Amino acid sequence: MENNPVIRRLRPADLEPLSSQSAAPLLVRPSRSYWQDAWGRLKSNKRALVSLYLIIGLLLFTFAGPLVWRVDPALQDIDQISVPPGADRGAMVVDPFVAWDNVSLDDGYQGGTGLSLAGDPTTQSVRLHWDAIPGASGYRVYRNNYPTQDADALGLPLLQINNTQQMYYEDRLDLRAQTYYYSVAALDESGQLTGDYESLQADVVRVITVNEVRARDLSDNPDALQPGDQVRLSWHPLGTDYLGRDMLARLMAGARVSLFIGLLAPLFFVAFGVLYGATSGFVGGRFDSVMMRFADFVVALPFLLFMILFQVVFGIGPGESGIVPMLIALIILSWPATARLVRGQILQIREEAYVSAARLLGASQNYLILRHMIPNTLGVILVTLTFAVPAAIFTEAFLSFIGMGVAPPTASWGSMCNEGLKTMLTHPHELIFPAAMISITVLAFNLLGDGLRDALDAKMRNTE
Amino acid sequence: MKQEDPKDFAQAPGDRLTRAAGKQLAIYALAAVAVLVAVMFVLNALAGLTSSAAGMSRMAVDVENNIITTYLRDEPPQMNSMLASDAVSGMVLAHVMEGLLRYGPDDELVGGVAERWQQEGNTVTFWLRDDARWSNGEPVTAHDFEFAWKNVLDPAVGSQYAFILYPILNAEQANNGEVPVSEVGVDAVDDRTLVVTLQTPIAYFERMVAYHTYLPVNEEFHRQTNGRYGADADEMLYNGPFMMTSWVHGASMQLEKNPYYWDAERIRLDGINYAHMTSDASTLLNLFKDDQIVIADLGAEMLEEAMLQGWTLNQFMEGTVFYTDFNHRPERLTSNLNLRKAMALVHDAGELVNRVIKLPGYLPGKSLFPVWLPGAEETFREEYPAQEYRRDITKAKEYLQAALDELGLDRLPPLVLLTGDTPVSRIQAEYYQEVFKRNLDIDLVIDAQIFRQRLEKMTAGDFDLVASGWGPDYNDPLTFGDLFASWNLNNRGRYSNPALDAQVRIAQSSLDMEERMRAFGEIQRIIHDDVIMLPDYERGYVYVTHPQVRGIRRHVIGAETDFTNAWIDAGE
Repeated sequence: MENNPVIRRLRPADLEPLSSQSAAPLLVRPSRSYWQDAWGRLKSNKRALVSLYLIIGLLLFTFAGPLVWRVDPALQDIDQISVPPGADRGAMVVDPFVAWDNVSLDDGYQGGTGLSLAGDPTTQSVRLHWDAIPGASGYRVYRNNYPTQDADALGLPLLQINNTQQMYYEDRLDLRAQTYYYSVAALDESGQLTGDYESLQADVVRVITVNEVRARDLSDNPDALQPGDQVRLSWHPLGTDYLGRDMLARLMAGARVSLFIGLLAPLFFVAFGVLYGATSGFVGGRFDSVMMRFADFVVALPFLLFMILFQVVFGIGPGESGIVPMLIALIILSWPATARLVRGQILQIREEAYVSAARLLGASQNYLILRHMIPNTLGVILVTLTFAVPAAIFTEAFLSFIGMGVAPPTASWGSMCNEGLKTMLTHPHELIFPAAMISITVLAFNLLGDGLRDALDAKMRNTE
Repeated sequence: MKQEDPKDFAQAPGDRLTRAAGKQLAIYALAAVAVLVAVMFVLNALAGLTSSAAGMSRMAVDVENNIITTYLRDEPPQMNSMLASDAVSGMVLAHVMEGLLRYGPDDELVGGVAERWQQEGNTVTFWLRDDARWSNGEPVTAHDFEFAWKNVLDPAVGSQYAFILYPILNAEQANNGEVPVSEVGVDAVDDRTLVVTLQTPIAYFERMVAYHTYLPVNEEFHRQTNGRYGADADEMLYNGPFMMTSWVHGASMQLEKNPYYWDAERIRLDGINYAHMTSDASTLLNLFKDDQIVIADLGAEMLEEAMLQGWTLNQFMEGTVFYTDFNHRPERLTSNLNLRKAMALVHDAGELVNRVIKLPGYLPGKSLFPVWLPGAEETFREEYPAQEYRRDITKAKEYLQAALDELGLDRLPPLVLLTGDTPVSRIQAEYYQEVFKRNLDIDLVIDAQIFRQRLEKMTAGDFDLVASGWGPDYNDPLTFGDLFASWNLNNRGRYSNPALDAQVRIAQSSLDMEERMRAFGEIQRIIHDDVIMLPDYERGYVYVTHPQVRGIRRHVIGAETDFTNAWIDAGE
């Protein structure tokens, strides 16, 4: 060490104690706890933050929404079935419907004008009558949404009349306020089209009776209404479903079921998984391997089969909701993933130097668990929880979709999708809204979980 | 524990390894893709080979070979006419077999194997034509009918449709094992004369004889098949317009014109290719659009497109009546007449069909007897119009109050509505749930079950209301009329009323059509007055057919889709 320049130049003054120095550079920043640090990192993550706001909004929608939008989700508005959002709501008041069984030609109709309308065409009924077509031994009435051009394509057959006496028809099938093209075609002896037909255009007007106005509470003063007055039907901001139920109210009701399962099930199974995994990992040895083999066994159980078995065992009777067995099945079958994760974490922490040091210093088991194990696994647990929530929501939606979830008239997003699927081509809004709700919720929880994982990762601490 | 940093350890060789492995992997991937492509080409070529080998055409209409391609809704369980109980088997059997009588193109009864027939009291005699042949050239004899009918009634055979032969003398007793089958009143006097003795003289026997359980079976051939009769295309003998040449189970079935058929000139098609077995509406619509099948049923969501495309649409009333049956067992609340009346006054079949179900082809239900049933002269419903309840909430509430007073209740406990798992039955159940809740404050609990489960619960009486349907077995109002007779096992609500039973007895035993129709009219009135059930709808379909194929018929009884009168119009 003779050629070390530092030692060689050492002078006696260098070994003097330092006097107090005011100019020493001070590098201090406020001490931040683990959680403050994590929150800071989460805040700087745009995606996670937006997701967080979305989830808060969703909770408001679910719990505060029904207080604002006071509509019974089971109420069927028969006048407005499968109405898309933003549809025209005007309706004309008319007299109550009277069936038109016999031709009561009180409108002065004398015949001779061929196919013509009896009365105004309304959504209540469209009444047609016609003159005998020469050579016809029967008639078939058609309705078309497009102008009729071809004798082979008259549209939708409504009724076949196998005699020549009846020359009138009253159409009531799913009438909407639009233009229809009616045709009456002549049939021969064997019931085949002869090629002769007459057509007519009918512009259907939406109508409602005074009784219906009163029953649906559409006017302040229903008694003053006269036929011909205009009323506005009840407002459905997101349209109605196949039974005329308000989509917005149903989405809110459905959100409760989805969030009930989506929040409760993960809470329970993560809690159980943590307990199980922590015990197993902490005790270790033979006990650990036995417990983990049991967890492997649970993983191997088929979920769907179990769901069905649960419904049987629970004796889910007619009309009862399958939500509780679904919750229990989810809890019983989903905990092993968390258990494994936590066990792994505990095993790792158990071998860490600071734990050994604490042991050496005589720390008790309780101290080790409370001070070292739990805080160090909390991040992992929280991340698992946020990822388990969308998975559970998805499972609920899936099970309700295949008809193993809620019982009617209760709605859930999954069952709404299932119902909307049937009319996907004609009324897409019935599928799009619940499907969008599921997608947005699941995405928001996933992105938040992603952000949380980054934020809570201790290795990323102080790396900004 | 010794700590090692794995990064330092594996860095350098790892780099080389990954590069080499990457190259290898890329080569493997390329090879795999190449093999896959090759396999696909080979499979495609093979598929082309097999289909052309079987003489299959890829188009719905093969003008050259005079063959049409269509579909079956399901795989028939078997084609043994003595056991068949489903509509698909019945439909194919109507093409490949012919009974004593059959239905003509306009649902009129015409002679099949029987040249003429005569009923005198309780004896019915059929004279068979001498040119009726099996597809192996042997003549169809009266013995073939005697063998088949007695076989159906043999309790060891266990045919589900044996009951349809019960009008024959001793048939029911033989089927129950009380008398030997040889005592049954069917006798082949000679090869061409079949004499049937009936239990009691009935007027509608000839209408029942057209049903497929009455089809003949060649005894000698049946013996040779060792119990496999009707299990495969070559395990059957045919005597109808067509014969089955191939049956790929679960996939397809080919029919060819039967050269031995006595009336072969009537048949204008040379073959029918049932190339698909599916009941999925959108699959069928796509097949139709791709010109792969000649006929397809349309769902409500497909109508808009069908109208836009300008297709020829047809309507077909299937003949089935759907109704909501009450449980009349005395321990059930629904056995209370006032409660039933209250519900009938709220129930509105018109609203259900026009506003809720909205499927074209459905008719609002008014009666147990559907509109197409023949009466004495006109249709039954023209002769005896159905009575109806009109919705009247005020009156309904009065009836409900009366019912509550009688039952000694303040409020009704929830009622169980047993229903099916199809989309229509679910919509209907949810609609009823709301209608009865809102107007009468009656809670309905929906119990949606698959068909077999529902049947089990119906039989056990485990319901208050049940969504039921009834399809006809033969062309007479009696096929519906005896449904609520106290002894009928299909009377799931166990309704029992001597007045109705008496009318059913008249309808069963009278030979006078007018008197029988009066009895049915009376039954219809009792059903209405006593609110035995609530009629919901009569089911129908809207379907589209290929423009080049003419003469396709759809029947309520017999073949649902009938191609025996069809022909290809290649003029366009």
